[in-house]
Amino acid sequence: MKKNIYQPIEAVIEDVRQETASIKTFALRPKSLFSFCTGQFIELNIPGVGEAPFTPSSDPGVKDRLEVTIMNVGNMTSRLHAMHSGETVALRGPYGKGYPLESFKGKDILIVGGGVGLAPLRSLLFSLFGEIDHYNKIVLRYGARTSADMVYKDLLPEWAKKKKVDVMTTVDIGDPQWKGNVGLVTTILKDLPVELHRAVAVVCGPPIMMKFVNLKLLDLGFTHENIYLSMEKNMSCGLGKCGHCRLGRYYVCKDGPVFTYEQLKDLHDIWD
Amino acid sequence: MIFFTNPPYSFLLTDYNSSMETYFLKHQDILTFYSRIDEEFQLYVPIKVEAKPRLLCEHGLLLPSEDYLLAPFSRIQEKSDIAYNEYRCVEPTRTLFVYPKENVSGDTPDPKKQGPSKPLAISGVKNCDLFSLKVQDFVFLGGDEVDPFYQARRESALIIAGDCPAFKEACFCRAFAIDPYSQEGFDFNLSALNDGYLLDVATEKAHGIADSLKNILSLATRGQLAGRAQKREALVKKLDAHLVLHKIPGKGSLKDIVVSGYNSTVWQEQMRTCVECGGCVFICDTCHCFLLADTLSKEGPQRLRIWDGCLYKNFTRVAGGANPLKMRYMRLRNRYLKKFDFFIDTMGTQACCGCGRCIEVCPGKIDIRYILKRLYEEKHLSAH
Repeated sequence: MKKNIYQPIEAVIEDVRQETASIKTFALRPKSLFSFCTGQFIELNIPGVGEAPFTPSSDPGVKDRLEVTIMNVGNMTSRLHAMHSGETVALRGPYGKGYPLESFKGKDILIVGGGVGLAPLRSLLFSLFGEIDHYNKIVLRYGARTSADMVYKDLLPEWAKKKKVDVMTTVDIGDPQWKGNVGLVTTILKDLPVELHRAVAVVCGPPIMMKFVNLKLLDLGFTHENIYLSMEKNMSCGLGKCGHCRLGRYYVCKDGPVFTYEQLKDLHDIWD
Repeated sequence: MIFFTNPPYSFLLTDYNSSMETYFLKHQDILTFYSRIDEEFQLYVPIKVEAKPRLLCEHGLLLPSEDYLLAPFSRIQEKSDIAYNEYRCVEPTRTLFVYPKENVSGDTPDPKKQGPSKPLAISGVKNCDLFSLKVQDFVFLGGDEVDPFYQARRESALIIAGDCPAFKEACFCRAFAIDPYSQEGFDFNLSALNDGYLLDVATEKAHGIADSLKNILSLATRGQLAGRAQKREALVKKLDAHLVLHKIPGKGSLKDIVVSGYNSTVWQEQMRTCVECGGCVFICDTCHCFLLADTLSKEGPQRLRIWDGCLYKNFTRVAGGANPLKMRYMRLRNRYLKKFDFFIDTMGTQACCGCGRCIEVCPGKIDIRYILKRLYEEKHLSAH
């Protein structure tokens, strides 16, 4: 029997958590065996409605359940946001290449997130925490538009308390309740507690944020090979066949979604 | 010419040429040949449509302008409508392997959904079409995962290629070193002679059929083979003479001129007449893009694999609204980068077979030959 590469497997929504006004985290239990590496993405399907690519935000070490943090921005995601625990969706994957954890070992890992872009990074953080002895230091810098737009608000202070972990957050627009930094995420990329010669940077967020964070990191002296960027495209098949996510000589779905800046630097319009 | 050394294609190349035999088939016996194939296969054959007057091309050559369509042999009432197509048919060959819209639901490809239960046979496949099939093979059979719907059809299909005894105004295969006749990649190949056909029998599958037709096949004589070689050579000469007039850059310079032409004005200029009909991408035999769409039918949720095209506005749009290819000129440029940069990088050859179908279909008269020529001139012949 030949495998139908386009056919998703069913998954039950076990839990839905409201992160912000427009972002929810869905906990899914696939009906058959499913596992992923951190940074890989899945195609999440509502049968008869549509399908879209997301990177799981949960610990890949948890094998029977995964979480996906999703912003309500389009047709498929608005339908998904209207769904509840107990309802059934479907998923395919995992696709692409995730974060190269092996090459992060012994390093200072700077993780820069913007908005809902913290979702894949949460999965990465869980992976790193799970074998924290292998890494020298984890530095998280997270920015959101306002304090109300921050995801994982309960987790951030918890992470900050962890050994070897340094967390700073910022909001673009302050409010009376917000006591932290106000300014774009690049404003908290100063005086980083990392040693450049053993540092890598992992960036995920909206394209405009990634563009300026990347510039800042280059400015700080990060090498092209040590900056890891998560590229966003409208992957349809996830298999390098449908043609939607071409980026230069790559397909984001199979050669990415995580790329080093070295891989991308000569390509045109990567931030569009 | 072998393009692939990677495993996914090996099954397609296995026994070609190793045991090639060439027979002579009389004109009047072609229907017997076709009928025999139709017993085992769902056979498509070319029929001639709309015999228009011959066309005087802008360079003064009198060229044919009739078109050929593929039709199921069993459903053709008047068998005299069946033609030996002098050049490629209108529809791209890929249509028979990747349907424009196909239900791909289910745990495994359902043979009932695959259309006819008999495997596919296609006659009138030209060398440009065979080149394109290699591109489709690269996409749908290559990589880590194989498209099982494509694979099922492709592996079981019988390909009856044919020499081109003529070419259309839009034909430019030879610009990319693709000959107007085939020497590999087929099961059978037909070459029209004055009183019949030479029939190359290339694969085991084809030999099986040829063995059952010994009464109408005689081994080709040396004279007949020489006659074919002469015809082939003459057509190549004529085609090359035509292409010289169009000044189409050669295969070797394609990547270079398209990459360095990124900021050329030709993209904006040529897109002025584009009406975004998508004709060029859907008639293209090397285009392969598709979208997986979900719909609800009477039987429940369905997954469809639908042809998509990069000339359409929403091809690269993401849910948030961002669109890297928001302007039409960006989409035209993207198409050329895909065909002449991406494919040369990843597959080792350009994704264009020179069939000229996109030239004929375009209501805006956007001509790939002109764009390539312009890019070449801007790179190599500019004043500075």
